[in-house]
Amino acid sequence: MFKVLFDLLRYNREFLLGTLLILIILALIACSFFAPYGENDIYVVIPDMPPSAEHWLGTNSRGQEIFWQLSISMRNTLMFGVVVAAISRVIAIVVGLVSGYIGGRTDQIIMAVNDTLGALPNIPILLLLVFVLRDQMTWPVLALTAALLGWTHDSRLIRSVALSLRTREFTRHAAFSGMRTGQILFREHLPYVMPIVFFTTMNNLIWAIGLEVTLSILGFSDINRPTIGGMIYWANAHSAMVAGIWWWIAVPMIFVVILFLGLFLLAMSVNEYIDPRSRLARMGA
Amino acid sequence: MMNATLAPERPATTAPVDVLTIKDLKAYYINEHFGVRREVRAVDGIDLTVRRNEVYGIAGESSSGKTSLIKTLAGAIRPPMRVVEGSVKFDFGGKHIDVYGEPAKMQAARWQHLSYIMQGSMSVLNPVRRIKHAFNNFAYRHMGLDATAFRRRVESHLDRLGLDASVLEAFPHQLSGGMRQRVTIALATVCEPEFIIADEPTTALDVLVQQDVLGLIKEVQGRLGSSVVFVTHDMSVHAAITDRLAIMYAGRLAEEGPTQALFDRPQHPYTAHLIASLPRIGDVSTRKSLAGKPPSLANPPSGCRFHPRCPIAIERCSKEVPQMLPSATGGRVACFRAGEVSMQ
Repeated sequence: MFKVLFDLLRYNREFLLGTLLILIILALIACSFFAPYGENDIYVVIPDMPPSAEHWLGTNSRGQEIFWQLSISMRNTLMFGVVVAAISRVIAIVVGLVSGYIGGRTDQIIMAVNDTLGALPNIPILLLLVFVLRDQMTWPVLALTAALLGWTHDSRLIRSVALSLRTREFTRHAAFSGMRTGQILFREHLPYVMPIVFFTTMNNLIWAIGLEVTLSILGFSDINRPTIGGMIYWANAHSAMVAGIWWWIAVPMIFVVILFLGLFLLAMSVNEYIDPRSRLARMGA
Repeated sequence: MMNATLAPERPATTAPVDVLTIKDLKAYYINEHFGVRREVRAVDGIDLTVRRNEVYGIAGESSSGKTSLIKTLAGAIRPPMRVVEGSVKFDFGGKHIDVYGEPAKMQAARWQHLSYIMQGSMSVLNPVRRIKHAFNNFAYRHMGLDATAFRRRVESHLDRLGLDASVLEAFPHQLSGGMRQRVTIALATVCEPEFIIADEPTTALDVLVQQDVLGLIKEVQGRLGSSVVFVTHDMSVHAAITDRLAIMYAGRLAEEGPTQALFDRPQHPYTAHLIASLPRIGDVSTRKSLAGKPPSLANPPSGCRFHPRCPIAIERCSKEVPQMLPSATGGRVACFRAGEVSMQ
């Protein structure tokens, strides 16, 4: 495992760059634990100060320092993404493996549900739920909702692999020796699909964070919980661009791009590691 | 010390005991699409017995129903295949099991009394898991041992099969084809089963490794006193390993008998042709091949299924189905003109 990581860092430039970008984000998040101000405290510093030695990323019109706002926002946003990715991974794995292995009518029914959910437009559904639930729409509820919408593509992908695993000799062998279905799925098939799970997780994380940022910018989330989208929402609410406070909008944008780029590069290079053909292409074969 | 944990070797009995008895077994693949019913009669009326402590060979062309037959007798069939008629009964040292009468009992007997060496050693082992997991998953619960005793038992078993205990920590891709096949044999025999089914275990191997694997199967079989059903289309492998041999053609048995007698004096014209197709050292004449193709099992010919390709077929062959009757060489044969074919 460590050897693989070391090799990737050494020979794969995308992986190296992706790791560096993610390390920047993680360092930023680590800073949030040492913040001198509470996350919702306002007018603790002089408002509207441009970036300087004293205020690294400047201050906003609400009298908050943008660096500390950014670090807590990044933590909350990433947390949201991780929760969504984790829940939707569990659903995708269970649905994909069961559907692919059992097959037949069960598979047809599960896949019909899967495809129906996959065809639903996500943003309008979430907006509808936000309007209906209003104050009950806390971030865990939002995360759960997003997770319930975000597993369909990956469960199909896992199912396609499970379909081929089902006819492999080792599966027949396992069934013949008397292993139960659950044991076969968990012990024999799950390790096989782990690389796919690993790489789809990154894409799912990007999707979830994008969703959260979109909803927050529009103000459809808890505005008192600092997030990347929430920062941009507040900046818009104070007409930051008109007032010339460009750093208020630019900083969260730059950092969310860094996060996306890092995750994307990691997903891409891991994908390349998993697919032997692209590895061969890299070696010039 | 090591041997104290091992079960005592089974005493070799003098009287032949039938471990497996198959009576008039019919298993068809039945498909129904848009109201049209299609039957593929892969196993169509087979009677046979396998004795204790013997290697019983099943030979035949591709699509002659060999694999369907052994799947059926192992109780490992899935829809659309179904047993239409007949019975499969095992006798594991006084423990009687009717495969299609008591499926639950069969499930419990698998691996412990009945194991399977499958075709294609490459894919029998899960490529992403270490070998030890295969032993733990397949054999552990059948042995009734605690983890350390089980591990010791597996290691001593591997040792007797000429494998180092370190293979347990290896992934399948780290082993050679021959080693992998040895591991599968070890996996199938670790519970010391009375009955072993070997489905073309040597097909993907080169001749030297093949020799090695055959020797190993024979050796394990001799030590355990088990019965082995050995399936392959390779007649030379049958000549090397089996005690008795059955020839399958289009879902039915054509001939059965002691291997040596079958090779010396084949009674069925199909057997005679199979044997004539084998190359022999020093013989430079061109090998004769049989005209035609194996019949479709969905729509088999009437009467004797071999009659369209048979060089000595008479009119009766296309009308009546020949029964398996005792032959002149101590076996059984299903042919109206048994013994009348001459190859040379």
